[in-house]
Amino acid sequence: MNTEEIVAGWMLELRRGILTLIALAQLRKPAYGYHLVKKLNDNAIPIDANTLYPLLRRLEGQGLLKSQWNTTEAKPRKYYEITPEGLSVLEKAKDEYRAFSQHVDALLEEPL
Amino acid sequence: MNDNHDLIERYLYAVTRRISRKNREDVAKELRGLIDDMLAERCGSLPPTEKDIRVVLTELGDPQELYEKYSGDSGKRLIGQPYYSAYLLVLKIVLFATGFGLLVSGLLTMLMDSLPWYALVGQLLAMEFQGLTSAFAIVTLMFVFFDHKRIPVLQPFNFDNLPPVPKKKAEIPLWEPIAGIVFSLLFLLLFLVFPQVFSVYLEPTGWVPFFHIETLQNHWLILVLFSVCGVGREIVCLLERRYNRKVLAVTLVSNILSALLAIWWLTRTFLLNPDFLTNIAVLFAEDNTQVLSALFQNFQYFFLGVMLFALILNTCACAWKTLKT
Repeated sequence: MNTEEIVAGWMLELRRGILTLIALAQLRKPAYGYHLVKKLNDNAIPIDANTLYPLLRRLEGQGLLKSQWNTTEAKPRKYYEITPEGLSVLEKAKDEYRAFSQHVDALLEEPL
Repeated sequence: MNDNHDLIERYLYAVTRRISRKNREDVAKELRGLIDDMLAERCGSLPPTEKDIRVVLTELGDPQELYEKYSGDSGKRLIGQPYYSAYLLVLKIVLFATGFGLLVSGLLTMLMDSLPWYALVGQLLAMEFQGLTSAFAIVTLMFVFFDHKRIPVLQPFNFDNLPPVPKKKAEIPLWEPIAGIVFSLLFLLLFLVFPQVFSVYLEPTGWVPFFHIETLQNHWLILVLFSVCGVGREIVCLLERRYNRKVLAVTLVSNILSALLAIWWLTRTFLLNPDFLTNIAVLFAEDNTQVLSALFQNFQYFFLGVMLFALILNTCACAWKTLKT
């Protein structure tokens, strides 16, 4: 395995956890899956539809998201939105993430 | 376009067919919308060609993988940890013992029968194939059952139940359960596949089997049950690797079952070969026949006695080793 493959593997694992947080944060206002895929990709968070769609379902199953079919547009689309429970999970997780990220930075940048 | 539509529907069917009925239609509808969006982005206002559809579906990936992402991780493994490691170990031992046992009994057949070598090799291969596949299936099913029922192989971690480092004497050396399993299976194979090995050479008939082979083979299930008792106990020993209450309990249950089975079987079924009795009677003087016949008539009780004694001895040894620790 070369350096790039190793890094790519790590990044995949890292992103997997963070992605849930990003998806929850983005769904504070309703959006459909593909919109979210494009938005994240535009913001340098590469994500495949085949990862995000099942994730949204799982989060809905856990009660952190709710969904509704919008049939007023030309194509019927399923819109997801965060629930109050999802919101409190998000707030807590955000704090944890920030603190954790700071600690990690501090250790990574620690002078020798 | 109809063909294109068909391709998408077939893809969606491949993804959703095993998703629960409740969600199936909804997932398909959502993915249909997604594919539509991806095609629109790729083709703009032009109608998508089959190639476009193939590119988009390829981007979505293998339907099986997508299904797995939807279904989550639960219950996808036939045998998960901590059972898997034990399963591999037991499987290796059982396959080795079965393969070896069949080889030995096959070679013995070769020496005693006068079949041409190619017929023997063919028979041997067929026997090995049958035996190994059955052994594989039985071990696998046992562990699937353990895993499915979550039969606790290892106790959940807790400081209070961290086992003390075993004294040297409480450890079960690895070879013991392995030898036990090998022996159990050899016993089973000899009785089932090659009962002729228990033969006596008597003039003028030649080799006369000691057991009535048909009766033995008709009672294959009982022989298998004996082996299951034995192998089950050894597997627990293999997992625990020390004498403790669990090993003792399993030993007790397994030995009591074996004893009951032996009593039930040996007191109801006459296993000796009647030809053997007639043949052996010929060898001795008339007046001894009765004594001899009585001796062999009671052989089963003698055999039962030896078995029960061995089982009791085994149980006592296990109890002693457990209580001493």
